[in-house]
Amino acid sequence: MTPAIETRQVTKIFRTRWRRKEIRAVDGVSLRVEPGVIYGLLGPNGAGKTTFVKMLLSVVRPTSGNARVFGCDVSISWARDKIGYLPENHRFPTHLTGAEMLDFYAALSGMRTGERRRRIAELLDALDLSRWAGVRLKRYSKGMLQRLGLAQALMHSPSLLILDEPSDGVDPVGRLRIREILKELEARGVTIFINSHLLNEVEQLCRQVAILDRGRVVLTGKVSELTSGQSYCLRSPNVPEQLAETVKARASGFAATDGMYEFHFLDRNSANAAVDLLRGQGCVIDSLLRTRSTLEEVFMRTLNA
Amino acid sequence: MRNFLRVTAALVRDTFREAFARLVFWAFYTLSTLVIVFFLFLLKIDMVEGARATISVFGQGSNRARDVQDVITIFQAGTATFLYTWGMAIAVFASAGLISCMFEAGRIELLLSKPVGRAHLLLGRYLGTLLVVTLNICYLVVGVWIILGWKAGVWKAAFLWTIPATVFLFAILLSVIVLLSVLFENAALSIMVSFALMVLSPILAQTKLAERLLSAQWSRSLWKALYHIFPKGYDIGKMTLEIVRGRTVESFLPIWSSALFAVVVLGLSLRVFSRKDY
Repeated sequence: MTPAIETRQVTKIFRTRWRRKEIRAVDGVSLRVEPGVIYGLLGPNGAGKTTFVKMLLSVVRPTSGNARVFGCDVSISWARDKIGYLPENHRFPTHLTGAEMLDFYAALSGMRTGERRRRIAELLDALDLSRWAGVRLKRYSKGMLQRLGLAQALMHSPSLLILDEPSDGVDPVGRLRIREILKELEARGVTIFINSHLLNEVEQLCRQVAILDRGRVVLTGKVSELTSGQSYCLRSPNVPEQLAETVKARASGFAATDGMYEFHFLDRNSANAAVDLLRGQGCVIDSLLRTRSTLEEVFMRTLNA
Repeated sequence: MRNFLRVTAALVRDTFREAFARLVFWAFYTLSTLVIVFFLFLLKIDMVEGARATISVFGQGSNRARDVQDVITIFQAGTATFLYTWGMAIAVFASAGLISCMFEAGRIELLLSKPVGRAHLLLGRYLGTLLVVTLNICYLVVGVWIILGWKAGVWKAAFLWTIPATVFLFAILLSVIVLLSVLFENAALSIMVSFALMVLSPILAQTKLAERLLSAQWSRSLWKALYHIFPKGYDIGKMTLEIVRGRTVESFLPIWSSALFAVVVLGLSLRVFSRKDY
């Protein structure tokens, strides 16, 4: 099956004005995103996420390597026919009304007038913006602009949706609505590529993620696999203080409430060593559970490594 | 082909919407309207002795009758000169922002993400801006032509040549604005350079004077080279006035060389734009 996104050793080197200094924003990134999945791109600030996304849209030209969308080289303009894009710090023309803005960008995607009218009504309704259709964008709040931006990306019913911080500035209700829409799109087979800082949101939405650091992919995988069975939680009551300190030193996390001590370990060996220590001193083990890591923990672990 | 036209129409329509959302374009049209109002209400032409007329402005005028053809030619030449100088300056001032705003961060990315070639996007904006200004020029010239024709009964179609001549000069200056906007994304710089070209044109056109004043051969050659390279707004303006006055034009070379300048500058803009990262 042709992948929705396929990059091979994509590299982008920015040069300063007088070419004295090179900045390697993206360094040999090879990614493969299968059709129909929600894929998250994570990374700290300056990791090269936005540059990578821009290369998928040919807004930035790669220094080397190539990027393909549904098998087409992204430098060919019609390859972008299948892509809907919501940029991070978008600046929509404020002289337009919501409906005019959607109409303009949809016309650039080659949609016919009748089709555009139908989709505008449909999407404004879905994103709860119908009442604002005829209002100029300068009167829109940040969250409303974000929702309108999403409507813009969806206008031509793209097969691939690239969203850069989609729920930035959106209130919790709007965020939930966006999540619902994205899940509906996933069910319809649309590939969604999300670049976000909100790890909790990525975890809820994405099936697969890639973590980018200093322009390189440092981790890729399915969210379910990356977050499952990674850490252990050991509960033991009335642990002597000195022993508790020794175990705590080996744990990644610790909590004590009403005489119940809770130790968190990142791997099985550390958990076993703690059990040996506690049992050796005659302490009772209340429970030992394999816990699920959050994506945030995976993210932090990966970057610290 | 249909898709191409649909996208072009969308780009032109958007330019019109943006232009009319800006105060400076309304000022541009208001100025044209004031000129039309002047000819309509404040200028009085009284026909005497058939082909002669007396003129009064703001109710003040001389009793001396002039040849009506000459009277109309003077007013038409005056309008053409106004359009060519002040009209052009305002057009440049108004449209520079219209081009450079396209390159704003957060806006250009979205435009480039659409399945439209970069050249198409840039030329669509160029065409839209050109049409906005053309509309105003047509409004002013045709308006003045109809009023003068109606008041004096003289319909000198040669005056209408002011439209293509002025649009042509604006198209040249707009190509410079486009290049500078692509390179520096700075409207102020585009305006300054365009104004500099307008000021430079009548100076460089004094080639005979330069021949006399400049002693060194290299300086005379440099002057000539600059004259041939840069657009010849002054010469084209003179040609337009000759046409309006019903005289024959000796050489169309200034038009061809200026057109070549615009094509080269626009080509350069497209090349830079097609390779630039945003």
